[in-house]
Amino acid sequence: MEKISQSVIKKDHDPKISGRSIYVCDYPSEGVLCGKILHAKVAKAKVLGVKVPELPEGYFYVDARDIPGDNNVNIVLDDMPIYCRETVEYIGEAIAMICGPDEKVVDKLLATCQVEYEELEPVIDLRKATEAFFNYDFAHGDLEKAFAEADKIYDEEFTTGYQEQAYLETQSMMAEPEESGRMFVHGSMQCAYYVKGAVMRALGCGPSGVHIYQDVTGGGFGGKEAFPSILACQVAVAARKCGKTVRCVFDRREDMEYTSKRHPSICRYKVAVKDGLVTAMDIDVIYNAGAYSTLSAVVLQRGLIAGPGIYKVPNLHVHGRALKTNTSPCGAYRGFGAPQTYFAVEMVMDHIARDLGIDSLEFKQANFAKQGDVTSTSGRYHFPIPIPDMIEEIDQLCHYRQKRLEYSKPQTGRYRRGIGMSMYFHGAGFTGSGERDIIKAVAKLRKYADGTVEVLASNGEIGQGVRTTFPKIVAHELNLPLEKVYYNHPDTARVPDSGPTVASRSLMIVGELLRRAAIKLRTQWIDGEEQEVEEHFREPTFMIPFYIDKFQGDAYPTYAWAVNVLELEVDTYTGITKVLGAYGNFDVGTPIDYNIVMGQMEGGFLQGIGYASIENMDYDAKGRIRNNSFSDYLIPTTKDVPNLQCILHVDKYPEGPYGAKGAGEVPLVGGPPAYLDAMEQALGGVNLYHAPFSIEDTMKVIMKEGI
Amino acid sequence: MVDGFIANSLAEALEIRATQDVVPYAGGTDLMVVNRPGLTYLFIGKVPELKRVFVDEQYVHIGAAVTFTEAIHNPDVPTLMKEAISRIAAPAIRNAGTFGGNLGNGSAKADSVLIEFATDAKLRLVSAKGERIIDVDKFYLGRKKLDLAKDELIAEILLPSKGIENYAYTKVGGRNALAISRVSFAGVFASEEGKITNIAAAFGAVADTVLRYKDIEEMLLGKTIAEARELRQDYLQAYSERMVLTRGRVSAEYRKGVCMNLLGDFLTKFGI
Ligand SMILES: Cc1cc2nc3c(=O)[nH]c(=O)nc-3n(C[C@H](O)[C@H](O)[C@H](O)COP(=O)(O)OP(=O)(O)OC[C@H]3O[C@@H](n4cnc5c(N)ncnc54)[C@H](O)[C@@H]3O)c2cc1C
Repeated sequence: MEKISQSVIKKDHDPKISGRSIYVCDYPSEGVLCGKILHAKVAKAKVLGVKVPELPEGYFYVDARDIPGDNNVNIVLDDMPIYCRETVEYIGEAIAMICGPDEKVVDKLLATCQVEYEELEPVIDLRKATEAFFNYDFAHGDLEKAFAEADKIYDEEFTTGYQEQAYLETQSMMAEPEESGRMFVHGSMQCAYYVKGAVMRALGCGPSGVHIYQDVTGGGFGGKEAFPSILACQVAVAARKCGKTVRCVFDRREDMEYTSKRHPSICRYKVAVKDGLVTAMDIDVIYNAGAYSTLSAVVLQRGLIAGPGIYKVPNLHVHGRALKTNTSPCGAYRGFGAPQTYFAVEMVMDHIARDLGIDSLEFKQANFAKQGDVTSTSGRYHFPIPIPDMIEEIDQLCHYRQKRLEYSKPQTGRYRRGIGMSMYFHGAGFTGSGERDIIKAVAKLRKYADGTVEVLASNGEIGQGVRTTFPKIVAHELNLPLEKVYYNHPDTARVPDSGPTVASRSLMIVGELLRRAAIKLRTQWIDGEEQEVEEHFREPTFMIPFYIDKFQGDAYPTYAWAVNVLELEVDTYTGITKVLGAYGNFDVGTPIDYNIVMGQMEGGFLQGIGYASIENMDYDAKGRIRNNSFSDYLIPTTKDVPNLQCILHVDKYPEGPYGAKGAGEVPLVGGPPAYLDAMEQALGGVNLYHAPFSIEDTMKVIMKEGI
Repeated sequence: MVDGFIANSLAEALEIRATQDVVPYAGGTDLMVVNRPGLTYLFIGKVPELKRVFVDEQYVHIGAAVTFTEAIHNPDVPTLMKEAISRIAAPAIRNAGTFGGNLGNGSAKADSVLIEFATDAKLRLVSAKGERIIDVDKFYLGRKKLDLAKDELIAEILLPSKGIENYAYTKVGGRNALAISRVSFAGVFASEEGKITNIAAAFGAVADTVLRYKDIEEMLLGKTIAEARELRQDYLQAYSERMVLTRGRVSAEYRKGVCMNLLGDFLTKFGI
């Protein structure tokens, strides 16, 4: 193993494991007002008025009228209000906030607020939704001809459900008016500068009117990409009105019901096959955006780009829409739109193979894209595609082919087995030219007179290890012991904007800036002096320029690759499905810390398996999410997948630090198709079309098929 | 203001129970979930008389304040009970959770209670005035309704010490650990000289209380295995008609399907 990959103790290990880390809810309460949100109780209505009870002294009612700036949260389209406008658009939308010193009094006041609604007809059913926030269309080749000449045409529809990030720490934020008049907002978040932009707009102030600090954050998984901007605006407006520090900590039910989750999807795939090869795909994708557009544009883009999977599809048409429903706005969740389309494409490939009587792995292999091939967006796969090798490695690890053959024979008895495989990439970094045109990351190193070096960047530690891996890179280049290099939680008053903590980008993009900065510092190093160096993002020269309006060019500079295998045993009496083995082979380039990367792989893979099986969340006909607690929304524990094995295939990316690529999201993406593929085999070769696939779903098939 | 009592002996606990308006608790694993302000609690988790496990002629006595972890490690506790309680929650909850609390919670999903129904267990209830012994199925009056007077405590569970070695048990939870039962089944079988002497079948988590239909069981009592096999279809049919299940986190149809599968499997397991 390379030196840089050797594991160290994470810098935040001791304070976290000993309980000394201070999270938002741990700050002392003296002088702090507790803020709680008055949430809408209906999915769509005109708010005629709110009867607010008489407020005791020191208590405040805050709503849209109190916003000094603009009542739009800065995300992508900026359509989401901080506090509702004339209407509410989903159950849970913030109407107002009540703030005061005593939480119990605040609760009581909230409970006695009477909102007068004039109810309007909501759109709840995604299939009946018509308003598209985003509508994208792109194609290459000659679709019509390919379908006309096809041996066989397949037309299938796949659906996926919500997935809740289920981070340990709920959404939490504090705003403190400083004496200078500047607003200090800090809390649980992934993207300090996103929050800054949003709060500036809410308060109508310039960059010096506000600064943002990321507190110790108890998990994000994407859920703290956009939502903290909303909550930050809400508490900042409240703090401005109250003239005091305001803290808002969501309880679990609020968090589960009202904050962003993974987009439910409906994907229709029409596939033309000729001579055992896929010649065309006509893909139609619908994502349930919820009531406001928030991040749906970018989530949908990533999903569409992944549409044809890792296959060579000479004639391709992709159409995708993010539709408005009167439900909680969906947002980012590890994988960011890709798991939905990968599920569909991997399943349809399995089904075609089954229909053609070919083994699905063979069929997929025959259709793999190769280095130099055209991507879905008419870009190029610039680097070797390691999937064929990775398949051989995983076959050695778990004897996939042998088991696949064995379980394909007719089975009898109570327990039935199946093994399934999925393969996919995850584009590393922002989609398209986002890094170059929008983010324009800057990172700095500050060396102090005592020879210690501080990393100045805005990427937040959310468990993925950046507080350790960034200093590791710098220490490596400067030949310093790791103790001499440190990276604190970002405060926008101190650190440059190195971009958000999203898109599996921090290590690959910012890590590389830091590596270059460290080299620069090394060459300029003067003992005993304070010095600072800075590096800016440069787009790799090999990139084919990307145009988002046409979906044309290199959507990503490079990809993380993965092959997942799941081996299952179904109890036909109960539908209980035991995971006999979960095997993941991941190419995330050079691991910058083996243990950290393995933690990401194992945790992400387990989340993917949860998404495939037990993580079931839905809303009722009124648009209300009922399973809003950890006893109703179950996520897997280690007992559910005791045999989970991950291995790393290392294909270095020359533009990443020491060859590292994006690692954060890739492990989650392939759980559902591998799980369902295995399930199909265990259930005797039926075709399945949705995830999560619950024990009840399993029982329905067993009863219907008479298994 | 007193908001809690700690009892060091059973007599002390019963005295407090008789004179104060208290909520007794042992592990607190159920009570902690919702904080209800204004209540006064009586901690009985360390009362020695409630922490014993012993065997006599007829019964295995399990004290109400015995934790699941203690029971799992106790050689006197029957295997069927151990199998069920080792599927409760996870180690931390099993270290604190008790038999009395599992009963006191009044839920049809309580995993140890299912076994008590399947084995015709009895409960010893005590108060400062005396004690009574009651069949477990009489103790449950309905959903979350128990035959427990305001001054009473559950002191012991009395499991039959013999005749429960042959059984079938399945728990269907939402996942493999930290999961409340969505369907659970326990069947106990015994025969003497080729004749069926016991064929108890209990279903948990599918209705307001644990379900058991002794009149249907009677169909097979006293029969030989061969005779019982003849009656298998009628017996299953009777269950299928009788079982009207509620929906919970899973549908009633799912519950019914699983219950019938597990019941059928129970018969098959013993040659019927
Ligand atoms: C995360 C979690 C997972 C769980 N998983 C399971 C599971 O898988 N299966 C399962 O069956 N349960 C489960 N439970 C429920 C709970 O742990 C059990 O019901 C346990 O047996 C309760 O015991 P306790 O001593 O903690 O009860 P306590 O909380 O102390 O008491 C529970 C109730 O019983 C009453 N009570 C207690 N002792 C007596 C007594 N001697 N006499 C009269 N009344 C009494 C109390 O007043 C109270 O109403 C779970 C709970 C949690 C929090």
